[in-house]
Parts: sequence; structure tokens; C-alpha cells
Amino acid sequence: MILLLPLIFALLGTVLVLGFRDRRVATRAALAIGALEIASLSALVWQVHRQGPQQLGRYLRADGLSSFFLMNIAFIFGLVLVYASGYLRHIPEGRFSSPRWFYALVFLFLFTMVSVCLSANLGLLWIMMEGTTLASALLVGFYNTEGAVEAGWKYLIVCTVGIAFALFGTIVLYLAAVQAGMNPAAALDWVSLMDAVPRMGFDPHLVKLAFVFVIVGYGTKIGFVPMHSWLPDAHAEAPTPISALLSAVLLNCAMYAVMRYEVIVSHATGPAFPHTLLLIFGLLSMVVAGLLILVQRNLKRLLAYSSVEHMGIIAIGLGLGGPLGLFGALLHTFNHSVAKSLLFFSAGNVRHNFGTLRMDSISGMSRTLPQTSAALVVGSLAIVGLPPFGLFISEFAILSEAFGQARFLVVGLFLVMLSVVFGGFAFHLLRLLGGEPAGVPSSPKLIPSEYAVMGIAAFCLLVFGARIPHLFGVFLQEAIAVMR
Amino acid sequence: MGLVAIATGKFLSSFSVFLFLTVLLMVVARRISTSVLLFSLQSAIITAEVFAMGVREKLAAAYVVGALVLLIKVIAIPYAFFRLVDRLKSPRDVKASTTPTQSVFIAGAMIYLSYAAVHSFGQTVHVPEDALAAAVALILTGSFLMVSRKKALMQMLGLLVLENGIFLAALITTFGMPLVIEIGIFFDILVGLLLMGIFTFRIRDTFDHLDVSKLRRLRG
Repeated sequence: MILLLPLIFALLGTVLVLGFRDRRVATRAALAIGALEIASLSALVWQVHRQGPQQLGRYLRADGLSSFFLMNIAFIFGLVLVYASGYLRHIPEGRFSSPRWFYALVFLFLFTMVSVCLSANLGLLWIMMEGTTLASALLVGFYNTEGAVEAGWKYLIVCTVGIAFALFGTIVLYLAAVQAGMNPAAALDWVSLMDAVPRMGFDPHLVKLAFVFVIVGYGTKIGFVPMHSWLPDAHAEAPTPISALLSAVLLNCAMYAVMRYEVIVSHATGPAFPHTLLLIFGLLSMVVAGLLILVQRNLKRLLAYSSVEHMGIIAIGLGLGGPLGLFGALLHTFNHSVAKSLLFFSAGNVRHNFGTLRMDSISGMSRTLPQTSAALVVGSLAIVGLPPFGLFISEFAILSEAFGQARFLVVGLFLVMLSVVFGGFAFHLLRLLGGEPAGVPSSPKLIPSEYAVMGIAAFCLLVFGARIPHLFGVFLQEAIAVMR
Repeated sequence: MGLVAIATGKFLSSFSVFLFLTVLLMVVARRISTSVLLFSLQSAIITAEVFAMGVREKLAAAYVVGALVLLIKVIAIPYAFFRLVDRLKSPRDVKASTTPTQSVFIAGAMIYLSYAAVHSFGQTVHVPEDALAAAVALILTGSFLMVSRKKALMQMLGLLVLENGIFLAALITTFGMPLVIEIGIFFDILVGLLLMGIFTFRIRDTFDHLDVSKLRRLRG
């Protein structure tokens, strides 16, 4: 039952919010249902912590790994919802683009992402991953401008094709399982697969083939280079709360899907093959995105490429494996999502104050928009991995694992790219903040809801930089235990 | 091996030839409506293969899946496409970026490539090699249609061909996935097409054309 509640509330939100035509009522209804949703997710996470994995029927299941990601979803979703309540006053009315449509689609998007984490079956996982694309495509094209329509179309086509490859991978894995003698009805259940893989001899060629297709397929949604082409467009053209959701939650959900497969494949063929693939995609994403960060002109595209880079870092952590690698990778999914939401929230404020995100037409922001600038600085310092922020800890853990395994090529590239990204962010930020003020901001003061979410995000980054809260550490260990 | 099993095996192999034919015709088709009809025909062939599988494996679920394919891919989707072509009132040619001759050569090369690719796997998974090659050929040509046709509608159609290929691969190697999953996948495809339909209207309204190769604003 407790597994169903978050799904029910999310669907309820979709249906209910659509019924309110009034902007203010719709916002309040969304906030109320959002609170229920977060409460039910927290209850579920707590239940998993107290009583171990929860299963409902054959298709829904939550264990330590799912609840770690659910916690991430709940936290970021809460921030985004509160931020959106203030942000939506800038959105002009249009067909499909009124606050009620916005919230309805956000709840639907949330429903698909929560279902991804709760799927016990790899087929259902695929269905829900495709669902995330479908639910968010209209949100990406929400503004209905030329750019938004183009980005929405590209997003829909690229991700659907990518995901089709993941379906093929799923089928190949299913084939391998059925051939090894598993009962076809249970051959896509993650738990049964984990149970069967060590006992039955899966054809290693088929399993490897499956993983290649899965990592290309779900990797498209993660934004691995070279399948990342949709990502900067979608992040830049979507309304800011959606950019934050895409970057901070959706990419993590896709990463979660890859993790589920990685565990199975590691057991079937040994960890060398999946780890090498993850390392290759991770390093490639980190290098290419890191270099592209230098030449960006649009603030949100800059942040989007930074997301690609950080997904690369997480993939490197997973690819290294080992206790520290896994710890760093999982911690980094959370840290990155907090820092990236903070940055997108600031970018949203920049956009509605100056009406543009082009960095060459904005300068002197530290004087005209002091509060937003402060948030931007904190977020940027955190995202480039400086202490005392959380991302320093997770990147350091991954780096130590690489050192421990004496993989000096990985270490070298990792360090070089971190410095390149640091240089890129410093260069762009100094030009934005310094210089003579250009343009007059329309509403320089933050409203209380924006103040609150940005404050919480910044505070959270600082806390995680100083010391990982005890309970969070326990959840993290439970998630790692599932991956072993 | 019983008579039925041999018969269905032959049936699957010989029907692959028709699938190759639809693929070759599709890459030379000049009008969107021709391509849609060919897609409908292709789906009809796949429906027949689903029913053949149902007979051989004595699976009741296969009949449900077969009926779904018939209803959705042979009837509903082509019908929706014709409506869409009508309502969009855009020119009806496919706007290919390759000439028909080039297209046929590329499609032929892809069919050859599919045979080469499945040759090693055909032995390990014990399925008719022709059918598996047809599935891979559909996946490849679907991708080819998506990158070489400039019309938004043709990209959708390419995606459907690609999906047909994946479906066929699943069918002949594993006799299809569990029914619930299969239905979920169908549902996703339908919603996906619906959304793409909405987007084609938006593209036409904001850009006054449906040529997606001209969507070039977002770069870098």
C-alpha cells in the first residue's frame, strides 16, 4: 500500500490541478498535493529503512537503491514546486501553457520518474523511462516559441530513438535469461534475475550485447556524449523549474536504470566489461562537455553542459566501482542535483530580470542583482568542486578510488577537466558579475519563496561539505549494499 | 519436429522476403501516403507472423498481441497519418536527401549487413536466420529513413519502422515479452505518436513548414 501512495498522489495531482482554471487556486492545489506526495515518499523511504525492501504484487518494489533515489526526487521536487509557485507569474497564458497545464504535466512527469524507481520489472522500467520523455516533451516545448518547439521535437525524437535501443537491450537480456532456463514470466524481474544470474549460466555474449544497447539507450537520456545532442537544447528552452527537474532528477533516474543493469551484467560476465564501458562514456562526456563549457554564450546551455560533465563524473565513479567509487558516485548524484537546482533557480531569476540568458549582453550583475549573484556564486563554487561544498567530498572520493586502483589516465583526465571547467566557470562568472552594469533588472529583490528554496539548497550544500548527516549516510550505505 | 513447426518456420522465412520488399519500396517512395501504405502492409506481414508464432507455440497471449498489432499498426496509425497529412495541408512529397537510386543501394547494403550481423547469432539462439535478418534490416532502414528524410512525418514513420524491427526481433527470438509489458510498450508508442502529431502542428504553426532540416536555431 505504501508503495502505491506516491503514485496515487502524483496521478491525483495531474487530474485535480487540471480542474482549476484560476492561476492562484491551481498553484495552491499543486502545493498541497505536492506536500502530500513528499510526505508519502518520505514515509516510503522510512519504511524501507526500517523493514527492508518492500514489494507489492509482481511489478512494484522498493529497496535501498530505489529509496535513495526517491529521497533525491522528493527533495528536489519540493524545491522546484515552491520555486515554480513564484516563477509562474511570468508565464503568459496560451493553449496548453497555463499554470494548470504546467502543474498537471509536472505531476505526470513526477509520476513517471517515481515509477521508474519503483519498478520491480525491467520491462516496466523501460515503459516508465519512455513515459518520462512523453510527459516532459510538452513541458520542454512549453513556451511555444521557435526555439522551444525545435527543442521539444528534438528531445522527443532523439530520446525515443535512444530509448528504442534500450528496449532492444532489454529484449536481448530477456532472451539470455529465457535461454538460461528462467521462467519467461519472471525473466525480467530484477530480483529473480539477481537470484538466477550466479546459479544459471547466462550466455555472456548476449548479456554483453544487451548492456551495450542499454547503456547507449538509457545513456541517451543520461546525456552521455555523443548521444547528448538533445540535452542542452531542452535544458535551455524549457521553463526554468523544468530545466532544474530535467537536470537534477531525470538524468539521475536514467542513471538509476543503468545501475540496475550494471549490477546484473557485472554478476553475469564479471565487472570488467560494464565498468570499461562506463569509464569510456564517463571520460568522453567529461572531456567533451568540459571543453564545450568554455565556448558557451547562453547561461542555461552552460549549465546543461555542466550536467553532461557531472553525469560523466558519476559514470566514472560507477565504472571504477569499489567502495569509494560507488560511494562517491551515489553521493554525487545527490550533491549535483542540489547544486544544479540552485544554479538553474538563479538562472531563472537572471532571465526574468533581463529578459535574456545571453551572457554577452549581461554584465555588472553583482551590483544590480546582488542576491541572485550571491546564489550564482555559491552554486558555481559548489559545482566546480571546491571545498567546503558537498561536491568536493564526492569528487574526492571518486578520485581517491581511481588513485587506489592506480588508474592514472583516469586520474589525469579527471583533474585536467576539473581545472578546465573551473576556468570556464570563473571566466563566464566574472564577466557576468563584474564590469559596468548593463540593463536594468525588472525586479531585483527575491520573493520569499525564491529566497527559501535557494537558501535551503545552499545550506544543504554547505552541510554536506562539512559532514554527511548520519541518517543520510545510513541510507547511502543501504543503497550501496544493494549494488554489491 | 512436427509438421506445424516446420510449416511455420518456412512461413517466417519466406515472409521475410516480403518484409525486405516493403523496405526497398519504402526508401524509393516519393509520396508520404505511399510510405504510409507500405508501413501498413509491413505491419500486416508482422501480424501474420505473430499469429503463426501463436499457432506454433500454442500461446493464447500471442493472439491478443496479434490483434493489437492489427488494430494499432495496420489500421489506426496509418489512418491517423492520412488524417494528419490532410489536416496539415503541406506538400505531400517526402523530401528525400538521397536520390532513389542511392536509397536502393543503401537499403540493399543494409540488408546485406543484417545478414552478416545475425549470422553468428543465428546459430546460438536457434531462430530462422532470414527472419532475424529482416528484423535487423527494419531497424537499420528505420534509422536511415529518419536521418535521410526531411519531413517531420517521415521521421515519425522511420521511427515506426525501427520499432517494427525491434518488435519482430523480440517476437522471433523470445516469442514476445510478457503480455502486460507488451501492452505497455504499445501504449507508449501510441502516446509518443500523439505527442509527435501535436508537435508537427506546432512546427507548422511556428515555422510555416514541416521541413525539420531547417530547424537550425539551436546550435553548439
